[in-house]
Amino acid sequence: MSQLRKDPIVGRWTIIATERARRPAAFVDHQSTITDQKHCPYCQDIPSPGVYESHGVKVVNSRSPILNDNKPFERRGHGLYDVCHSYGSHEIVLEAPLHIANMADLPPEQIKAVMQTYALRMQTHRKNPFIEYILAYKNYGVAAGSRNIGHSRSQIMAVPVLPMRVKDKTRGAEKYFNYHERCLFCDMVSQELKNKERVVVENEHFVVITPFASRFPFETWILPKNHHCDFADGIAGHEDSLAAIMKDILLRFKIGLNDPAYNYMIQTSPVKNPSLFKDYYHWHIEVMPRLTRVAGFERGTGFYICPIPPEMSAAFLREVDIHART
Amino acid sequence: MPELRRDPVVGRWVIIDSDHLKGPLDFFKDDNTPTAQAICPFCPGREYQTPQEVDAVRPRNSVVDTPGWLVRTVPNKFPVLSSEGPLLKDGIGVYDQMTGIGAHEVLIEGPDHDKSLTELAMEEMQAVISQYHGRFRKLSNDNRFKYVVIFKNFGFSAGATVEHTHSQIIALPMVPKTVLEELKGAEHYHQYRGRCVFCDMISQEYQDKERIVVENSGFLAFCPYAPRYAFETWIIPKGHSADFSNTDEASQAHLAQILQDVLKRVKKVLGNPSYNYYLHTAPIGYAHLACYHWHIEIIPKLTRSVGFEWGTGLHIVPTFPQDSARYLREA
Repeated sequence: MSQLRKDPIVGRWTIIATERARRPAAFVDHQSTITDQKHCPYCQDIPSPGVYESHGVKVVNSRSPILNDNKPFERRGHGLYDVCHSYGSHEIVLEAPLHIANMADLPPEQIKAVMQTYALRMQTHRKNPFIEYILAYKNYGVAAGSRNIGHSRSQIMAVPVLPMRVKDKTRGAEKYFNYHERCLFCDMVSQELKNKERVVVENEHFVVITPFASRFPFETWILPKNHHCDFADGIAGHEDSLAAIMKDILLRFKIGLNDPAYNYMIQTSPVKNPSLFKDYYHWHIEVMPRLTRVAGFERGTGFYICPIPPEMSAAFLREVDIHART
Repeated sequence: MPELRRDPVVGRWVIIDSDHLKGPLDFFKDDNTPTAQAICPFCPGREYQTPQEVDAVRPRNSVVDTPGWLVRTVPNKFPVLSSEGPLLKDGIGVYDQMTGIGAHEVLIEGPDHDKSLTELAMEEMQAVISQYHGRFRKLSNDNRFKYVVIFKNFGFSAGATVEHTHSQIIALPMVPKTVLEELKGAEHYHQYRGRCVFCDMISQEYQDKERIVVENSGFLAFCPYAPRYAFETWIIPKGHSADFSNTDEASQAHLAQILQDVLKRVKKVLGNPSYNYYLHTAPIGYAHLACYHWHIEIIPKLTRSVGFEWGTGLHIVPTFPQDSARYLREA
């Protein structure tokens, strides 16, 4: 059973997802050991029905979904509080038939197929009138919140509410646009390309930067040079460059930072009312190695301490030789 | 000199700390071993190893920076913000920055290396709270600062690097984002209803009862209705009070009692987990806001944040707060 609940103070939605009532001891974090190929559930035939399959990429419904659409969507109030029961979808993207752990080691064509799969699934989910946002993301490595299965995969979650961070980003971009009548992200791209010290790598359609106000060491953003608010429609024609730059940055992490845990999150615009967002929002991907423990101060204030200037992170990543054989 | 930089999209300030790093590769030497008692700089007798104390609870005729103290506050040896110098603001294209001015102090909660907060005697616990209060008021007087954060990281996975029991205090030249969001939300609520949203929450919690952990005559501890983390627990004064600095001696004693009580319950139910707690209060100079209500949030560190949470700010919590509250209540 699960529920979506809204905090009455800041308006932040939370998902409460309990498969079953667990004893408190079951919440304590366990480090898992790496599954070998023989026991990899993703190398064997997957019992749950696939929802999509093409070019070696397979999408299946999560076996322990955080959200599902078994019941129709309905919102209600509880005194001061707002709540709706679980609704939405939670899919696993198996990125290749081969037992390879890190997306960095997949061939570029395979990464391209993964990106195209994200786009297609987003286009399908957004037809559902109850869905407000779709996030495609990856957890790689235990410190990034993944189980250590050793088979490259990512996830797609479609949710019936507008998440807090998405609201934050679109509002910030809207404010800037209202005043300057230009897209904030386009301005950032041109300033970064001129300034260069935070640029890690670029190609024809994309640039990878370490953001000016980075929260984490080696935090990077992949920014499309062309303005488009939506990932699924925006990548059309640019899939090869996106796959190339994704592989490039992931290899820099792997070689330069000793195969760290990482997350990436595709930051696309909200599903509803695309005409609202098309001028001022600009899709991008946040790619983050997980090297630090986020501590109380950061969690409590939303105010981060980055132990290394992003200019230094960028210089370091720029100099990693991704063609070196290890 | 550290720098404060603002994210141009969401407006979040971050500290870029460039003082403690020789090169990017230093970053991988994550020193996991807690400081042993034999070399612990927070133990009595090694006061000379820390910067000079700024405040302490100690016998009247004892000498500063010598043993005998009950609680001792010193500047952090590796501060993330610098307390010297003017606050200078600057813009570069789309970006904003300012000099990293602030204060960063360590509050050593007791002389005994092996005692954690849950093991302190009540008078020692009260000394900790009274020192929180004293430092909070003192730092609030510096007109470069807008906000004071008091927080604690307990255990390795919550970010603690020194074993000896301690909290930290950081004074900032701006109001942090999460607090600002709470303030805006609370103000919005107050404008429409003319009531404090936190006071309304307290009365609904009394009606519903199922999320209450424990209470005493001054404070209520409960698991919030829409938590971000499993077993997240808030301690809130029952009467309306925007600012921690308004807390009198009697309330401080009640706070010491309930804070230790909740930490003991968390320890018992979850098997001594790592945890963080931090105090949310009104910005400096807004001690009498009608819309805001100070409180402490306690977050046991049980699960890791995954990409989905980082990407959306939509947290996935594996337990209902009424279940967390029941376990903690029955402990």
